[in-house]
Amino acid sequence: MEKSQYNLCLEILRRFDNKGLLSDFILIGSWSIVFYEAYFKKKPDFALRTRDLDFLIEKPHAIKAKVDIPDLLKDLGFVVSFTGKGYMSLSHSELILEFLVPEKGKGVEKPVSLPTLGMNATALRFLSFLSENVIQIKVEDFKITLPHPVHFALHKLIVSQRPERKKDKAIKDRDAAVTIFKALIAKGDEVSLRKTFNKLPSNWQKMVIKGLDLSAEPQLQDILIT
Amino acid sequence: MPGVIKSVLEEELQNSLRMRKDYESALSKLPQGCLVEKEIRGHKYCYIVKREGHKILHLYKGKLSPEEIRKYKENKPLRAKYRHGLSKVKKQIRFLIGVLRGKESI
Repeated sequence: MEKSQYNLCLEILRRFDNKGLLSDFILIGSWSIVFYEAYFKKKPDFALRTRDLDFLIEKPHAIKAKVDIPDLLKDLGFVVSFTGKGYMSLSHSELILEFLVPEKGKGVEKPVSLPTLGMNATALRFLSFLSENVIQIKVEDFKITLPHPVHFALHKLIVSQRPERKKDKAIKDRDAAVTIFKALIAKGDEVSLRKTFNKLPSNWQKMVIKGLDLSAEPQLQDILIT
Repeated sequence: MPGVIKSVLEEELQNSLRMRKDYESALSKLPQGCLVEKEIRGHKYCYIVKREGHKILHLYKGKLSPEEIRKYKENKPLRAKYRHGLSKVKKQIRFLIGVLRGKESI
């Protein structure tokens, strides 16, 4: 990982913390793996990561702080970027910042406005599963919130089975899940893994098993099923 | 795995292409040139210095309000950041196109 990219990520987190926003955000996606190092006391062996720095906001309307995020990060060289459908992101040559919210009900095909933050967010399915169980990791003098690695790994396997998921992206999801699974087992977290798996709806369980099946990891399947 | 890496690189290329457009658009929105204050017979006058091809132009602006001067001064580091970002993104695009082409020359 480039040092400048990591330092930029830290600077963003530091600024969010200074504005009192960090407690409302959950860092998800491949960047959370970087910070799992503190949880596992060892760097998870997963090197493939894009520039996307994704933040999950579980309750967008509960955010009290009024902070214009594009303005907050402007001097770092971030520019506002829009996709065709109006989804907003903040782009920098090193990182792309996006906000996500859990999809509710039948779902929405348009961006969800975050008026207090001067941004909008993408609503996606299954994200509430990530916010169900979170951990806090101390970075410098602040704490960041991450999904519990058990939830992270199971979520990756579930989304990898979504029909709209591209084949290559699904493989990447499964690889990330397997990496975290193995790190959890090495840490002795099998019981927590099995408990969480057993609480999942049966169709989600099937997606997890299918995901592990495609990853050719029968021993991981055995750990979940036994 | 090679397919996965290729798709990640393709995604990154698309991101970089979008970013190039965004940086160019952000730069075009900033006022052009650099503000220079000259003191002539005890009075301060402002000039905008900008480059047009090989020529360096000094455009007379006269006396500007402190607000306008502040705006120009604020935009200077921002323009430098955007230019730096744009240059990096252009290098990334060249690199990614090269990698995705395989043995073809860039």
